[in-house]
Amino acid sequence: MKNPNLKNSQMVTRLPVGSTEDYRVRVRNLKVYFATGGRIFGKKHLTKALDGVTLTIKKREIMGVVGESGSGKTTLGRVTLGLQKPTEGEVYIKTDNEEINVVKSKVKVVGRYAQMIYQDPYSSIDPIMRVYDVLAMPLKYRKEENIEEKIKEAMNLVELPLELLENRVYQLSGGQRQRLSIARAIIVDPEYVVADEPTTMLDASLKGEILKIIKDAREKKGISFMLITHELPIAKIISDKITVLYLGKVVEIGRASDVIKKPLHPYTQSLIEAYPKIDPSLRDKPKEIKIKIDVVRPEKGCVFYPRCPFAHDRCKEKEPELKEIDQDHYVACWLY
Amino acid sequence: MLLEVQNLKVYFYTRRGVVRAVDDVNLNLDKGEIVGLAGESGSGKSTIGYAIMRLVPNPGKIEGGKMLFKGENILDLDEDTFRRNYRWKKISMVFQGSMSGFTPVFKIKDQIVEVLKIHGWNGDYDERVKELFKMVNLDPSLAEKYPHELSGGQKQRAFIAMALALNPEVLIADEPTTALDVVVQEYILNLLKQLRKDLNLSIIFITHDLALLSEISDRNYILYAGKIMESGPSEIIFKKPRHPYTSLLIESIATLDKDIIKGISGFMPDLSTPPKGCRFNTRCPFAKDVCFNEEPEFKKFSDGDEVACWLY
Repeated sequence: MKNPNLKNSQMVTRLPVGSTEDYRVRVRNLKVYFATGGRIFGKKHLTKALDGVTLTIKKREIMGVVGESGSGKTTLGRVTLGLQKPTEGEVYIKTDNEEINVVKSKVKVVGRYAQMIYQDPYSSIDPIMRVYDVLAMPLKYRKEENIEEKIKEAMNLVELPLELLENRVYQLSGGQRQRLSIARAIIVDPEYVVADEPTTMLDASLKGEILKIIKDAREKKGISFMLITHELPIAKIISDKITVLYLGKVVEIGRASDVIKKPLHPYTQSLIEAYPKIDPSLRDKPKEIKIKIDVVRPEKGCVFYPRCPFAHDRCKEKEPELKEIDQDHYVACWLY
Repeated sequence: MLLEVQNLKVYFYTRRGVVRAVDDVNLNLDKGEIVGLAGESGSGKSTIGYAIMRLVPNPGKIEGGKMLFKGENILDLDEDTFRRNYRWKKISMVFQGSMSGFTPVFKIKDQIVEVLKIHGWNGDYDERVKELFKMVNLDPSLAEKYPHELSGGQKQRAFIAMALALNPEVLIADEPTTALDVVVQEYILNLLKQLRKDLNLSIIFITHDLALLSEISDRNYILYAGKIMESGPSEIIFKKPRHPYTSLLIESIATLDKDIIKGISGFMPDLSTPPKGCRFNTRCPFAKDVCFNEEPEFKKFSDGDEVACWLY
C-alpha cells in the first residue's frame, strides 16, 4: 500500500493552526537558466528564462502574468507546479495546515494541491477518451469517493451538459474541450491552478465564457489562479493583480486596475499604448511606437534599457530594484 | 474596380461529405484600398485568400464563381498562364505563419533572388533586394543572413519584401501579425499603411482580430460559416454594425477599455450539413421562424453597409 501522504512528509512543514499569513503561493528569488548552444554548433551560453522573480499569490487571488514571447511567463507557471526545477530560488504552496516546498517535492505530491490548464485544448486531452473517464481518472487515482457526484459538480461548474459524459473527446468543439480541461483541473479540489494562455486558441466569441468559468471556480471553490497570458485585456478583466514580466524579470506588479490605468514602467506603458483598440479613425495614420521593437538582452543594467525611450546612464550601469510607489504597486525602474 | 470576386464557391471533398467552406461570396477591391476579411476560425476567410491565389489546397476545389482582375476572369485562365502573368506578379500573398515560410538552409537574399529569377525579372538582383529591404524598413545587410538569425518581426518584414518583389498590385495578408508581440504587430500595421501610400498597393487583410483590423481597414467583410454576413465601411462595421453577428463579435473582442467581454453561446455549424436558412440561426438571439427557413438576401443601405439578415 502506497500512501503518498507519508512519503515525502519531510518536505512538508506543519504550520500552526490559525496562522495569519494568507498567501497561497510564494515565490522567492527564482532563477531558471537554460544552457543553450554548445555541443556541435557555436559557443555554449546561458539563457536566463527567469532571473530573480519574487511574487506572492494570496488565497482566492487571480494573479495575471503578462509579457511578450520569451518573457519567461510559461516557465514561471511550470516552476510553481514543480514541473521545472529552478536553478535557484524557493517556491512554496501553503494549504490550510501545511506548507509544501515545491522545489524539493515530487511532482506527484505537488499535484495534490496544484493543477494546470493548458493553452491547446486539442493536444492536452486524449481525444479518444470518454469525457467521463477524463474526469474520473484523476479521482480514481486519488482513491476518492463520490466520484459521480464530483463529476456532476465539475460539469455544472464549467457549464457542460451532462449528456456529453458518454461522448468521446474528439466529438467536442474547441470551446467544450477547454471547459473539460478546466473541469479536469478543478475536480480534484486543488488550492492553486496555473492557467497557461487558456483563451489564446479560442475564438473571440468563446473567450468570455471561459473567463467567467475561471472566475466561478475561484468564487465557488476558493482556488488561487496564476493566469498566464499575452493578451492584456484578458488579464485586466479577470485578475486581481497583474505581474509584468520582461526577459525573465518582474518589471511591474500591482492591482490589475492600477497596472492598466496607471502603468508606471515604460515597458508596461508601451504595451498598453500599442494594444489594438476598436478605432477606425486610426486607419490613415501610423500609430506612434515609442520603444524600439527589437529585443536586445543587455549584459548589465536594466533589462529594458536598450528599448527604453527614457534610458539614461544609470540604467546602463545598475539594475533597478522593485520599489513600492503606490500602495501594492511596485515597479523596477530608475524613473521612480 | 481592380478585383471583383463574384459568387465564389469553394468546397472541400472530405470523407465525411462536402464541406461548403466558402459559399457564394462576393468581394470587391479598389486600387489603393485596404479591405478587411474577418471572421472566426472555420469561417472561410483564409480559403478565400487561397482561392484568389488559385492555391486552394486539396481536397478543396473552386466550384463556381468568377474572379475578375481588371475585368478579366482569372479563373478561366489555364494554370500556366495564371502562374506566369498573375501569381506573385499581380497578386501576391503573405501567408499565415509565413515567418516560418523561409527555407532555413538558404540566405534570405538568395530566396528572394530565386523568386525574381523564376518570374523572369530583369535587372540588378542585389539592388532590387536592397530596395525591397528598405521598403520594409529593414537594414539591407540582414539580407545576407539566414532566417534563424532574424527575429520574428524581421522575418515577417522580409517575407513582405519577398511578396512585393515583383511589384504586385494586390497583396493578400493572411493573419500577418498573429504570432507577433503587440508592439511588433503595430509596427507591421504601420508598415502596411505606409506601403499602401507609397506604392498605391491594394491589400486584403485577413484576420480574426477585429480591434487590429479597425486600425487599418477602409472596408470590411464579416464572414461566418462560409457566408458574408455584413460588409461595409469601417466607421459602420466597427461603430454601428447592423448584423447581430457583427455586433456580438465586436462585443466579444477583448480590448483594454472593457471590464467584461461577452461571448456568443453555441458554436459554428458543421459546414458539410449547414443549417437551412441563415447560417447564424443556431446562435442568433434574434432568430425567428423565417431565419430557419429562408436564407436572407443582402440589403443595401445608403451609408454603404450591406447586411444579410431578416431583421432588415
